[in-house]
Amino acid sequence: MTEGDIIVRLKENVIQGRKNQDEEGIDEKLSGTPGVVELTRLALEKKILLEEIINALTAGMTVVGEKYSSKEYFIPDMLASAEAVGEAMEILKPILEAANVETKGKFAIATVQGDIHDIGKNIVAILLRGAGYEVNDLGTDVPTEKIVDFVKKESPDYLGLSALLTTTMTEMGVVIEALKDSGLRDRVKVLIGGAAVSDEYAQEIGADAYCVDGFHAIKVLDSFQQAKTS
Amino acid sequence: MSTSSIRNEFDIDTEQVFNRMGYGTDGVPSARVESLVREYADNICHLVEPSYSYVIRDINSVRGSRVFIEGSVIFRSNVIARLLERCQKVAVFVLTVGGRLGEVVHQLSGDGLMVQAAVLDAIGSDAAETLAHVVQDIVGKEAEADGLGISQRFSPGYCDWRVSQQRMVFRAMGSDTAGVRLTDGCLMIPQKSISGIIGIGPADKVESYNPCPTCEKRDCVGRR
Ligand code: B12
Repeated sequence: MTEGDIIVRLKENVIQGRKNQDEEGIDEKLSGTPGVVELTRLALEKKILLEEIINALTAGMTVVGEKYSSKEYFIPDMLASAEAVGEAMEILKPILEAANVETKGKFAIATVQGDIHDIGKNIVAILLRGAGYEVNDLGTDVPTEKIVDFVKKESPDYLGLSALLTTTMTEMGVVIEALKDSGLRDRVKVLIGGAAVSDEYAQEIGADAYCVDGFHAIKVLDSFQQAKTS
Repeated sequence: MSTSSIRNEFDIDTEQVFNRMGYGTDGVPSARVESLVREYADNICHLVEPSYSYVIRDINSVRGSRVFIEGSVIFRSNVIARLLERCQKVAVFVLTVGGRLGEVVHQLSGDGLMVQAAVLDAIGSDAAETLAHVVQDIVGKEAEADGLGISQRFSPGYCDWRVSQQRMVFRAMGSDTAGVRLTDGCLMIPQKSISGIIGIGPADKVESYNPCPTCEKRDCVGRR
């Protein structure tokens, strides 16, 4: 396989959502051929530039996002692709760190205190990982002090908060107030999500954005990045 | 009431599961997702621990948007008040498919198997809905024996009935809540649980009650 082949196949396998060679993907003919994990390792062996590998992964995810918007792909398909990219990023992580390459940013995510709903949060976490963010999942029913403490010590660029019901989402407002009281509010952008949450609620509690789903979150984060660089 | 007989006849509507995952009516699942859903749906009886409980209470009076039920239970909701003023009694229920499924979903996501986790989670939600139909049928038979009919199901958190009214539902239930616990934030544990009421009264008056056509929430998941 030439270097060019590896890059092309890497992107294609992300689109197919094939983490490794045992997986079927969308197109069953591919079963048995190298998946994203094997191709990433191969790319490193062949000393392909990190940047090129990452570009191939991101390009694949962009196509997945498009297919999701056009309803050719659905939640399970995009999760399979994001999982594959997440796994590749794990392999690349030590090398990225050694080379001092910056990730797109640090994203901490938590389901607020009093709430244990985690599937939505986990979906968002894997999608953001697939989009190149360094994601720290703090878990469910996370006490506000623990979230504030994490922001203080680890300085994430973004904080995502999740809740299922109108009775549990109120804790999101408590977290934002606690961040203000600790003088940390300006250091982190706060994104909120969950079935009962809305744009109006985000405004009411002073969050930076409400996101319908993970892809929406990626778009919002991109717009934050653009605002930062322009 | 724990019901092992129900457990074995749990029929998961895979169409509904795809719908729940955003496929709508014309989205086509890939072969691998299709077979994954089938596999989990066929084996769901090993993952659910269905349990339900219901009580049938007298309605003392309805005033404005408040309904006074025996045992110091007061429901506050215009939609529920308009329903229950047509009824003689109300069945209050709590049901769950248990916590095991949630544990497996959690484990799968922890292992990075998000496709499996999301699919199983959606199937768990469908299982809870399936159990709700079972409970509705049982209440329906009991009402029929008294020559009465039943209304559709209503749950706190839908229409103008606030989630915080879960406290009243649980008060009405008394000590048997089918193993479901209500937290201070009105969240039920295990997660895949449903609570609510079914009105019981003259069939011609209760069966047709439907507040949806005049409701503004056009994208509501409960729209009927
Ligand atoms: C499936 C479902 C159920 C299932 C499973 C519930 C569960 N927790 O597992 C069952 C049938 C059991 C159920 C029960 C109840 N439900 Co329900 N349920 C839903 C439904 C249809 C989908 C929720 C879901 O699992 N979605 C799939 C997951 C993957 O999505 P998600 O968690 O929302 O996450 C996505 C986004 O929200 C977003 N996101 C989430 N978090 C975050 C965080 C960040 C940072 C970002 C960027 C994005 C983000 O991205 C995620 C990925 O796309 C919603 C309505 C809806 N359309 O959302 C109602 C809904 C959540 N339920 C509701 C209610 C009221 C209840 C009950 C209280 C009813 C009752 N009295 O029994 C109970 C409560 C259960 C409990 N444990 O306490 C209400 C809540 C309203 C309110 N006022 O709070 C809703 C909104 C329906 C409505 N009325 O409109 N429910």
